[in-house]
Amino acid sequence: MPVLEWIQNLPLSTSIAESDSIWWGYAWWLFVHALGMGLTAGVGFIVCLRLLGVGRQIPLSSLGVLFRLLWVGFYLNLLSGTLLFMTDATGIARVWELYAKLGCLGLALVLMTRLRRFVESGRGDEMIPPTITKMAYACIVLWLAVITSGRLIAYAVEANGAKL
Amino acid sequence: MVPSSDLVHLHLLLNHFPTVGMIVGFGVFLLALVNKSVDLKRGALAVMFAIALLSLPTYMTGYSAQKALRGVAGVSQGVVNLHQRSALMALIFMEATGVAAWYGLWHSRRRAASGSRNTAVVLLLGALTIGLMSSAADVGGEIRHPEILSSPEAVAATEGLFAPHVLGSDFITKYQYSHPWAWKTLETIHFMGLCLLFGVVLVGNLRLLGWMRTAPLEGFYRLLPWGVWGFVANSITGMLFFIGQAFQYIDNPAFHWKMLCILLAGADVLYLTWHDEVWDLGPGDSAPATVKVLAASQIVLWIGVIYFGRMLPYIGDAF
Repeated sequence: MPVLEWIQNLPLSTSIAESDSIWWGYAWWLFVHALGMGLTAGVGFIVCLRLLGVGRQIPLSSLGVLFRLLWVGFYLNLLSGTLLFMTDATGIARVWELYAKLGCLGLALVLMTRLRRFVESGRGDEMIPPTITKMAYACIVLWLAVITSGRLIAYAVEANGAKL
Repeated sequence: MVPSSDLVHLHLLLNHFPTVGMIVGFGVFLLALVNKSVDLKRGALAVMFAIALLSLPTYMTGYSAQKALRGVAGVSQGVVNLHQRSALMALIFMEATGVAAWYGLWHSRRRAASGSRNTAVVLLLGALTIGLMSSAADVGGEIRHPEILSSPEAVAATEGLFAPHVLGSDFITKYQYSHPWAWKTLETIHFMGLCLLFGVVLVGNLRLLGWMRTAPLEGFYRLLPWGVWGFVANSITGMLFFIGQAFQYIDNPAFHWKMLCILLAGADVLYLTWHDEVWDLGPGDSAPATVKVLAASQIVLWIGVIYFGRMLPYIGDAF
């Protein structure tokens, strides 16, 4: 697709792809992506575990700040993920794992937003409705799916590249 | 980068700690049970946890020693391989003892004494670990001391019981090459473990640094086992990466830094689990300055672990 080739050949894309720098090259953005994943999925896991009853002594109202951290992780990964995609747009856009990851991520963020609304509503543990509990379970599964599909993108791109 | 020869020396220095340290920790544990001393018991559990941590570099540096002994006259590669397998068997039990010891410490803060089930598990795993570690050390000694070489029958008995072939580096490497899904699965679990561990580390330590001040520390304390299970998942998968491709890692500076960060973070975890005053902080309470420094260092160290883990193929040449 011409637009993907155009993206891949942008000076920014080639400079990252060809850079050997461990601070600002491809390797650096891979690290930022892993850190962002740890922040987003890690904080996501903790919020869900708390809603499922782990660490009940933590008031639900104090979890609000964690959602801000989650979004910091998300924006870090939006930036690093976009840059990593640009370095091999034609290869990455061709694998279904990318779309599975984006779909699961979108769904996880929608559910996390619903959980945030509940947490900020000021209701306590005794008021956690079954729908929120189910959403927390679903979110854990979705974060695991995001991590799995994200990991598989690299292998799928490599396998496709070998076939060409 | 730490020179290979220094890593060999490090192996020769460290290799006595797992056996001797475990015997000391186990002995103190027994003494604590006889004297019904909670403090002594906690001390013994802390020693066992610390020895389990120290056993990781002890095992890993063994590959540097193995590399140095390649082609050296009078050294049997068969005995070297037997030592590797028996050491791995002992390491598995040692790490299981370390996790059980950590749980004992964790329980002991919540109750006056750690649970009897935990005590039984620590006793059983500790005794088995001492036996397996002694066996591994015995085979290790035979590598350079042929005068104490066991009879062929004794070596064969050790192989079958304490050093199964499935624990051999060559077996694990071949398995990973012939089953492409194995590496992908391990990496995926490694990343899941990273997220769980990092989530617990971040949230717990941010509370110590003054975030979410309305929450008592007790709630975060309950989250710690989830972080430990994340660490267990990553230790198992990480060790399988390492064993499968050990010679790509042993001279890799990123790997040396990663291990250093893990060991320091482990020492932090021991300190924070050990000290009661940290976890007695109630809503609105602020942690002491030393605890805040440790909390900040935990976050930095785990970011370091992620950084150097990601840099393994770039700073060094491991994939």
